[in-house]
Amino acid sequence: MIARVAALALGLAACGDAGAVLAGGDTTVFDRTSNAYALPAPGLDDAALALHLAGDASFEATFVRGPAPVNAGLGPLYNHNACAACHGRDGRGLPQFGGAASQALVRVSLAHGEPELPGAPVPVPGLGGQLQDHGVFGVPPEIAIELTWIDEPGRYGDGAEFWLRRPRLILRRPDGALLPADVLRSFRQAPAVFGLGLLEAIPDDDLRAAADPDDRDGDGISGRVNLVWDVDAGAVRIGRFGHKAGNPTLVQQAAAAYANDMGVTSRRFGGEVEVTDDVIAAAAHYTATLGVPARAPGDVAAGEALFAALGCDACHTATQRSGDHAIAALAHQTFAPYTDLLLHDLGAGLADDRPEFAADGREWRTPPLWGLGLAPTVLPGASYLHDGRARTVAEAILWHGGEAEPARERFRTASVAQRTALLRFLAAL
Amino acid sequence: MRTAVPILLSLFALPTLVACDDGGPLGPGFTDRQVVADFADQVVIPTYALLDARARALDAAVVALAADPDATTLAAAQQAWVETRRPWEQSEGFLFGPVSAQGFDPAMDSWPVERNDLDAVIASTDELTAAYLHNLPETQKGFHTLEYLLFGPAHDRVATDLAARELAYLAGTSRELVTITTGLAASWTTGDRPYRDVFVSAGAAGNTAYPSLDAAAQEILVGMSGICDEVANGKIADPYDAHDPDLVESQFSYNSLADFADNLRSVEHAYTGDVPAAGTTGRGLDEVVRAVDPALDARFRAELAAAIAAIGAIPPPFRDAITTPSAYPAIAAAQAAVRTVQTTIDGDLTQAVR
Repeated sequence: MIARVAALALGLAACGDAGAVLAGGDTTVFDRTSNAYALPAPGLDDAALALHLAGDASFEATFVRGPAPVNAGLGPLYNHNACAACHGRDGRGLPQFGGAASQALVRVSLAHGEPELPGAPVPVPGLGGQLQDHGVFGVPPEIAIELTWIDEPGRYGDGAEFWLRRPRLILRRPDGALLPADVLRSFRQAPAVFGLGLLEAIPDDDLRAAADPDDRDGDGISGRVNLVWDVDAGAVRIGRFGHKAGNPTLVQQAAAAYANDMGVTSRRFGGEVEVTDDVIAAAAHYTATLGVPARAPGDVAAGEALFAALGCDACHTATQRSGDHAIAALAHQTFAPYTDLLLHDLGAGLADDRPEFAADGREWRTPPLWGLGLAPTVLPGASYLHDGRARTVAEAILWHGGEAEPARERFRTASVAQRTALLRFLAAL
Repeated sequence: MRTAVPILLSLFALPTLVACDDGGPLGPGFTDRQVVADFADQVVIPTYALLDARARALDAAVVALAADPDATTLAAAQQAWVETRRPWEQSEGFLFGPVSAQGFDPAMDSWPVERNDLDAVIASTDELTAAYLHNLPETQKGFHTLEYLLFGPAHDRVATDLAARELAYLAGTSRELVTITTGLAASWTTGDRPYRDVFVSAGAAGNTAYPSLDAAAQEILVGMSGICDEVANGKIADPYDAHDPDLVESQFSYNSLADFADNLRSVEHAYTGDVPAAGTTGRGLDEVVRAVDPALDARFRAELAAAIAAIGAIPPPFRDAITTPSAYPAIAAAQAAVRTVQTTIDGDLTQAVR
């Protein structure tokens, strides 16, 4: 009771212990609607806000082939024609392909050969590193993607049945031939894009300090930083963004997405300047400065305690602190992303068997869990994990393997009441 | 989304502060289930049904144009486009749920038009089957492609100038539009879990999208606010600030100002629970507001009417007004009037409702 009064007195949206750290620190927004991921961070100065609004327009802009009066440069091959088409309302996409509803993609590479960037996946001759399933007029898409799901049964410790689904992709070239078996492939849905500036601002040293590649502490959890090529620095840097942390900065992530997802090239990727560095910087700034939704009101202390007790927080690190950042509002914040930004072995069940820089075929970067409970509000039918195979958060937990298998088993064998409490906590994020 | 920030901050900070649990210092939050139900049943679903019916009428008019292109059939098809546009614009105050998640919005309303590829398809010998058109990008279909072909890039379309391939493309595209409007209408009413049931069951156990009635009310208010923001700070501001007609949506039909006014009417419908064109009435937020602050209800209605009037006072067409200095004061006044509406939604209205 006293804690609650104190929280109110501080003017925080805190309820019980939950709000001790606001989800986005001072960049937290208080909205639990479908718009919750799409609000600018509070505290931006005038210049940062102006650039955010410019980036907002860039993020929504629909590209056309051109020449055209506005937004020229699409294609000739592409996955979609606007950032917001896959990251709708700045949230995740759905695991589906085809026409306007396409919100996912497939990355490809070869196991051996020469990468274009040091340490990067080896491109497939004629296809590159990503399959584009759309083309402008006269350019056949390089692939036709058919996605089906294979159901797999399982049981909770108490005997209750559950069903998981595993994706099965059939990838055909324009001539009808299947993609050769030696092409490695990784099927991914679009992730949410809010709060990314805070993740960018976590000091490298903090990430390295949390890493435990040889599991010296013997807790069964390793955790490695990905080491990727920074095209601006011309050097290896820690990777932070993408499902395998394959990009070191938001600017590089954005530039790569323009080039690979929309066929819109730039100085960094593709050479021909179809989109300027300024526009890319604005789009990156937009994602850096989207606020983070505060947790939902209500008492979820029991589930929060279970989150730690089951071991979820060994990778989904509750609290992080940002260091210096060019955007003042993002610097020196204490926030609650529920990620360590490190790579972890998630087991054979989730493996894509496609390495990406230092990440091997079983490793994934811990995704942040902030805003998780709003996923079905922002995107009806929202699904989880890198490829959207999990239709519920419970399914997502049940897919965890590898290092996370003990935690998964503690969840699977927990009582209904405990499982419900944990899921209530996650729904409040 | 586009956002005018200072308003939003004041807005969401306070309500959440007091909404930590039921029985907080300023009351339990929004609990009027009838408003939420009527919003779905008397506003959203009838608006989408009207859109679908008018899209079918548009398709019929385009088929008639294609069969016998003359000034009469062209004018009828143009008018049918304008009539179909209205319920769509009147739905933009509630762009949450399947309309965005399932891609109906971009499929119907992508902008700008992919003119190069549109021209290339028309110049080609490709057979314009339904499947072929279905697979084309959304920038070559939907409202603005139909508009481009029906009105012409310079708003001077002559029926007899339309080539056979253009007429066939028009007919195929209007048919494709119907599949989209039908799918959108159905997304709220049919299927395993119609979105109507998701929204109306706000607060029920297991409803992860809307854990409380208060969350549903917030969704209504945020949608109302969001379209005001989009009109004032996006649809008007982007082309006006750049004085660039190429940035104007609905520029071929000269329908931009009607679009904006109908966007404001979508706010009115969401607020009152009524859709006059569909003949539906329901319990709206207005009744909740009147119960606590009748003067606020009257003021908000006056602000809405003033915003619609201010949009109407911009000399048409909007694509010319943005490069005509004598029109600038009217444009600025309309932006200000719409922002006033948004300020009231974000502030006083949100407080009164919750």
